[in-house]
Amino acid sequence: MKKKVGSFFHHLLLIILVVIWLIPILWLVVTAFSGYPGINKTHFFPETWTISNFTTLFLKPDSVVQYGRWFSNTLIIAIFTCIISTVFVLMVSYAFSCMRFKGRKTLMSLSLILNMFPGVLSMIAVYFVLKSLGLTNSHLGMIIVYSAGSGLGYLIVKGFMDTVPVSLREAARLEGASELQIFTKIMLPICKPIIVYQVINSFLLPWGDFVFAKLMLNSGISKDYTVAIGLYNMLDRSLVNQYFSIFCAGGFIVSIPISILFIIMQKFYVEGVTGGSVKG
Amino acid sequence: MKDNTNKKERFSFVGYFKDLVTAIAKGDWSVKLSMLFMGAGYTFHKQVIKGILVTIIEIAFIMMCIFYAAPNLAKFGTLGTVQFEQVLDPLTLQTTVNDYDNSFTILLNSIIALFLIVCFVFFWISNMKSVYRLQVIDNAPDSLLKKRINTFIEDINSLFSEKFHLTLLALPTLGVILMNIIPIFVMIAIAFTNYDQSHMPPNALFTWVGFANFKNILANSMTVTFGYAFKKILGWTLLWAVLATLTTFIFGVLLAMFINSRTTKWPKMWRTLFIVAIAVPQFVTLLLVRYFFGDTGIVNSICSNLGVTEFLKSVGLVSQHLNYIPFLSSEHWAKFMIVMINIWVGVPYQMLIATGVLMNIPGDQIESAKIDGANKFQTFVSITMPYVLFIQGPSLITDFVKNINNFNVIYLLTNNSFITPDQALANSNAKEVDLLVTWLFRLTNEYYNYKMASVIGIIVFIISAVFTILSFTRMIAGDREGDYQ
Repeated sequence: MKKKVGSFFHHLLLIILVVIWLIPILWLVVTAFSGYPGINKTHFFPETWTISNFTTLFLKPDSVVQYGRWFSNTLIIAIFTCIISTVFVLMVSYAFSCMRFKGRKTLMSLSLILNMFPGVLSMIAVYFVLKSLGLTNSHLGMIIVYSAGSGLGYLIVKGFMDTVPVSLREAARLEGASELQIFTKIMLPICKPIIVYQVINSFLLPWGDFVFAKLMLNSGISKDYTVAIGLYNMLDRSLVNQYFSIFCAGGFIVSIPISILFIIMQKFYVEGVTGGSVKG
Repeated sequence: MKDNTNKKERFSFVGYFKDLVTAIAKGDWSVKLSMLFMGAGYTFHKQVIKGILVTIIEIAFIMMCIFYAAPNLAKFGTLGTVQFEQVLDPLTLQTTVNDYDNSFTILLNSIIALFLIVCFVFFWISNMKSVYRLQVIDNAPDSLLKKRINTFIEDINSLFSEKFHLTLLALPTLGVILMNIIPIFVMIAIAFTNYDQSHMPPNALFTWVGFANFKNILANSMTVTFGYAFKKILGWTLLWAVLATLTTFIFGVLLAMFINSRTTKWPKMWRTLFIVAIAVPQFVTLLLVRYFFGDTGIVNSICSNLGVTEFLKSVGLVSQHLNYIPFLSSEHWAKFMIVMINIWVGVPYQMLIATGVLMNIPGDQIESAKIDGANKFQTFVSITMPYVLFIQGPSLITDFVKNINNFNVIYLLTNNSFITPDQALANSNAKEVDLLVTWLFRLTNEYYNYKMASVIGIIVFIISAVFTILSFTRMIAGDREGDYQ
């Protein structure tokens, strides 16, 4: 009996915690269906329900809302960022994990130090470099911003490659395989799970990034925005009372694919942060 | 043996220049000629194509120096002297612009030029060494062991076998140079100039001012309040980083243990529910939460209906003239709420990690503790916690550094909604709830005060670097990389 009571309170506490954690998400979902465009200040659930917020998003683009455009902009940027950064990270990881060369450790330390510089600091200089190349407010500029420095984020993938037995590579070398062949034919297939992690991770970056996009996409033309900037813009003081529930609808839609990808990715996240030392 | 490889993988300055001196001293005439004509050594040691390629690079570099580096570096000392001028011709109604100097372009180009020059020096040194190596191979006495000089095709092939790392690292390095290294140098340089709103190219010039900005950040006078603002914000940044790291870590571990406990039914489901909360992009949830807790937001109307607002007023936690709870608009409430909301954001992450760590606690230790009569609390304090801390220690320091630079939580929660009542802070465009990075962002993005922003950026870097070096050895020492191989 005592055990049952304990179990009841145990689960009650869990339910309370989960409710606390999910309330904002619930608010997002219900407000997305709200018939009142502004912020509902007195009721949690909307008084009138409608799906017009979603139709506005996709079917009635105006000078503020260009959701379809934002979505395709972000998608294009995300796909290219994902390809380039995954390739970069894999190349750097293989070089640092599987090859031994002069200055390897020095390069690794250097890259760690470089990673320490807050991105916000060098961002202004990046902005001017891209501006002088005429790449602000363009897809290419954003892709460069997100993927050019991605080689520095090699630690997790390298950690994974470090766990692959060296005997595999040595056997291949004895058979006369070149490093290129070992890389593409042996390492890449083994690293599939961590490649999935890397792909999802770099794909998610442009969807969630706020800082760089705000700086680079400064034309003020709604068509050029990514989803994050477009949605943020709706909450401008002069717009929020007309667009708040549309903001929620947009946030809800973009959250669905991202949540799914995130949940797929989260199991790799653990290994990444603890640097594989979990196994030790 | 292990030590030996380690030494090779680290860069040694003495060895680096010693090799160069030997190459120059013992090289034959063609090696010595390579000091001027870089292709000479290769050409006379049977590597003609390589010789030609190297010479082309040398010529390109010299052209770069003449047409790009020299004109920019000449103005580097002053960052330009010719002011932008526009003249409207009254007859043709056309404006003509004079041949003005753009300080920023000069600074940027000079740094790129300097960078190229340094790269070329390294290239030149490595060229001398490899030419000398060729000479040694070429002059070795004939024997079975004598190495043959590679043909050009073999050299290309080696880029995909034993020198594959060069191929692999080339493009990512170029990206990092473009996106990280050059911008960092530019920003460091700007910290020593007077680049701000009243010195904006192309309409105005800016110039070097030495350490004036660094003095400014410590100064405190009627007009310059950066010193005051900096002290306040630095204090809050550090306090925030400590609080944010510790609270999320402790609650994350507790939550993980709670869900892991045997009493819990369907632990996976509970975990996924918490993860859903962080799977939604932060900019969406944080902006929502900001309105949730707004001065006229829904939480406030619920609180006033329930009489919570009145109660807090009578206790003195809310000042008398307000009829709402200033969750995100008064200093102490906002700081408290930011830490609480950050718990909401951060705990699921920590819970995930802690779950992974807890599953690997050696079971026999807990068993033997039980046999020895330890209760749950004792096993937690003396076995579970030390184990978790041992594994997660380094990542806690990384989290600390990440929190120092935690832009999203602070900016999205307080931008546009928090207005500082402190005139001295407002003078330097700061707010009580700002971190150094959000202050930096506002200084550049809204006030174009690049010089002070750069100084703050350098300070943030130094703070981050110090803490990283603490965890540095464990993260990179590579002690673990051999474990599985």
